[in-house]
Amino acid sequence: MGHTATPPPATGGLTATEHRLANGLRVVLSEDHLTPVAAVCLWYDVGSRHEVKGRTGLAHLFEHLMFQGSHQVPGNGHFELVQGAGGSLNGTTSFERTNYFETMPAHELELALWLEADRMGSLLTALDEESMENQRDVVKNERRQRYDNVPYGTAFERLTAMAYPEGHPYHHTPIGSMADLDAASLADAQEFFRTYYAPNNAVLSVVGDIDPERTLAWIEKYFGSIPGHEGKKAPRDGTLPDVMGGEQRVLLEEDVPARSLMAAYRLPHDGTRACEAADVALTVFGGGESSRLHNRLVRRDRSAVAAGFGLLRLAGAPSLGWLDVKASGDVEIAAIEAAVDDELARFAEEGPSPEEMERAQAQLEREWLDRLSTVGGRADELCRYAVLFGDPQLALTAVGRVLDITAEEVRDIARARLRPDNRAVLVYEPTAADAGTDADGTDADGGNDEQQDATEEAGQ
Amino acid sequence: MSDTATPAQTTMDFHPRPSGGEPTPWAFPAPERGTLPNGLTVLRCHRPGQQVIAVDVNLAAPLDAEPEGLEGVATLMSRALSEGTDKHDAEAFAAELERCGATLDTHADHPGVRVSLEVPASRLSLALGLLADALRAPAFAESEIERLVQNRLDEIPHELANPARRAAKELSRELFPPESRMSRPRLGTAETVERIDAAAVRAFYTAHVRPATATVVVVGDLTGIDLDRELADTLGAWTGSAAEPRQVPPVTADDRGRVVIVDRPGSVQTQLLIGRIGADRHDSVWPAQVVGTYCLGGTLTSRLDRVLREEKGYTYGVRSFAQVLRSAPDGSGAAMLAISGSVATDVTGPALGDLWQVLRTLTAEGLTDEERDSAVQNLVGVAPLKYETAAAVADTLADQVEQHLPDDFQAQTYARLAATGTVEATAAVVNAFPVDRLVTVLVGDAEQIAGPVRELGIGEVTVVTG
Repeated sequence: MGHTATPPPATGGLTATEHRLANGLRVVLSEDHLTPVAAVCLWYDVGSRHEVKGRTGLAHLFEHLMFQGSHQVPGNGHFELVQGAGGSLNGTTSFERTNYFETMPAHELELALWLEADRMGSLLTALDEESMENQRDVVKNERRQRYDNVPYGTAFERLTAMAYPEGHPYHHTPIGSMADLDAASLADAQEFFRTYYAPNNAVLSVVGDIDPERTLAWIEKYFGSIPGHEGKKAPRDGTLPDVMGGEQRVLLEEDVPARSLMAAYRLPHDGTRACEAADVALTVFGGGESSRLHNRLVRRDRSAVAAGFGLLRLAGAPSLGWLDVKASGDVEIAAIEAAVDDELARFAEEGPSPEEMERAQAQLEREWLDRLSTVGGRADELCRYAVLFGDPQLALTAVGRVLDITAEEVRDIARARLRPDNRAVLVYEPTAADAGTDADGTDADGGNDEQQDATEEAGQ
Repeated sequence: MSDTATPAQTTMDFHPRPSGGEPTPWAFPAPERGTLPNGLTVLRCHRPGQQVIAVDVNLAAPLDAEPEGLEGVATLMSRALSEGTDKHDAEAFAAELERCGATLDTHADHPGVRVSLEVPASRLSLALGLLADALRAPAFAESEIERLVQNRLDEIPHELANPARRAAKELSRELFPPESRMSRPRLGTAETVERIDAAAVRAFYTAHVRPATATVVVVGDLTGIDLDRELADTLGAWTGSAAEPRQVPPVTADDRGRVVIVDRPGSVQTQLLIGRIGADRHDSVWPAQVVGTYCLGGTLTSRLDRVLREEKGYTYGVRSFAQVLRSAPDGSGAAMLAISGSVATDVTGPALGDLWQVLRTLTAEGLTDEERDSAVQNLVGVAPLKYETAAAVADTLADQVEQHLPDDFQAQTYARLAATGTVEATAAVVNAFPVDRLVTVLVGDAEQIAGPVRELGIGEVTVVTG
């Protein structure tokens, strides 16, 4: 099929159809023939929030085991077959879900469906102690590389543990603890699969240069005989009061390169209009190089090398607003904190200006266009809205909901939530003066830590 | 539904693995090339459906052109481009850019400065105007340069604390002769950055930034956009003198096999960076080197991870790669050839031992046809996926310009990759990673790792402070 014959769709022109197999597997299809590629995305409705005490990290460790072969796929066959067909693949685990995805040249779509069905239906016939021991070591090295061997690396799990109380399903992060990773057994993994990996606990989306009828026939052929089951336990309730009701604070003295102020604010659940308002609020306040936070701390006070505010969207528990400031030179955290609170108070009082609203909404709109510019991005968003909110069509109208937010709603959410009594604060104080005098690297933005995305991947 | 389904069923119907259908032909897009009256070279490429337009500008301002003792001035100049113009001060410029929903990133590296704009098609006009202002009339206000200098100084300790970046810095110092710009940190040292002021930034800009030596690449869905008019009204107003292309020295390196440990007491992992220099894209061996390097360490089913990750569990992943440092029209450029990753501290010796064994086995036995086939199928097959977005296409087109390659280089590379045989790929990767010509940098706990590493006999081991 020619890939320039179809007129280009605006993002509003995207459509998706929904289907359900008899075993409960939900299917979402979306056609787009501009490029000869097809994305397959499979979301299982299981994440670290389903884990129990003593077995943190199991959902993510299990995700790795899904790449260790299944009944008809030996060893690393999932990677070998997809990559050998000119495709790319991975899996990630977050608090609320585990996803697996392949982007394929369109003519190799059927292979990806066959592979996903094989492991959904037959993983346990291939899973053994050797894979378990090997991937346990790999995941422990993933934890060391991403968290334990980098400055501020454990900030995310520390703040999360402060933001959600002991016993709350989101109190621990997907990577889990070393002790729990050591404790996980093959029997635990088998039980996890039997409990959560079933067609009726998953959504499959296929997006791109596809023939929907033929695609649906393949899905029926490969997935249709996998038995569904109802053994899944609901996650523990993640409901919490709207605000924390008091500030928590931890001071860490560690071998870090500079002082840092980090904080997590409790915000509305994803899927609500108030969450969209919070997204706009955080963007106005700390989302870019024209944000209030950047202008105050980096440009005017010159007290920070980097300052930003991001949103960690969560559907089954309150979302988190994530503040991250790295101090400049010898500036004291108290001075930075006073400036942050001063700006927050002013923001809550006056709300955003029309210009600030325009800028924030333009930025958020571009982020949506970026996410929908690839078939893989679209497939992931369709699954997300289907799994978390029961309606994949919401993905196609999401940008409209962001643009619909008013300045009053932004002011109201800032007033209600961006308050000192609604945050957990983590302050880093370096233990030793840094002796370094020079540096090199591969990007120009070394002082600015990436926003935590709360996902763990199978492949690097 | 399966006809055997019963409530007690615990298995599924299995079907043979499907074979693929007929591939749809796909080619890396051919850009249209032109020149504006001011000498600015323009490459454009229409990509239907890509609503976010990517605009990349290459400036012929290589790091080699930085005055001695002012290393970092290219980085500061490139950052300062977006900190105010003749129309807007720094805050207002950032606000205008974000009002377009645009991002503007700059990057100064050995081949030159890259300015990258991404903006929704509906707001392209406004954003191109801002980009043109930044290139044509940057303010370089003293107070903003002072702020950028301090900001850059503040970044340095963060970079040094990062094991991967610390390793990259040490490898550059080891590999390149001291008089080469490549031996020194790309973004400057604290000592050199401190010396930079607005006058130095402006002098660098005046000497090296002009439309006659610049190229702009525009990629995206250009439906309904009169790009000629948009460019004439914006970047067309940029003026500057003609200039001869700058001559750069050939890239040379000392790759005698040796080990440097950057001591980090208490590290739970050791960061590895093992490298030397080799062929860039001007060399006819490039496609074979790409295939061979993929077979060695391109993915988690490549030779290195098959042992180090999937058999031993020593690492989350080790990769081998070739990254062009700087190219020249006469072919005197080079690429960094390297292996990188991190391994648990207590298995650092065994992991390096296994890594060297993988290289020795590769040298002795070569690649298999299956490995070569799988690598080629992946490298060629992923092209339509890799170049789905406008930004990915623009980035590769801008790289080609920067590396003095023809506009159809990437398109031709896919044909050359497909024609690469097992023997050629083996020869290329064995030549790229000879076991006795690799400089190894380890960032980790010297007390724990130095002994086991010395026993491997992979070169003299020295320890420097972290």
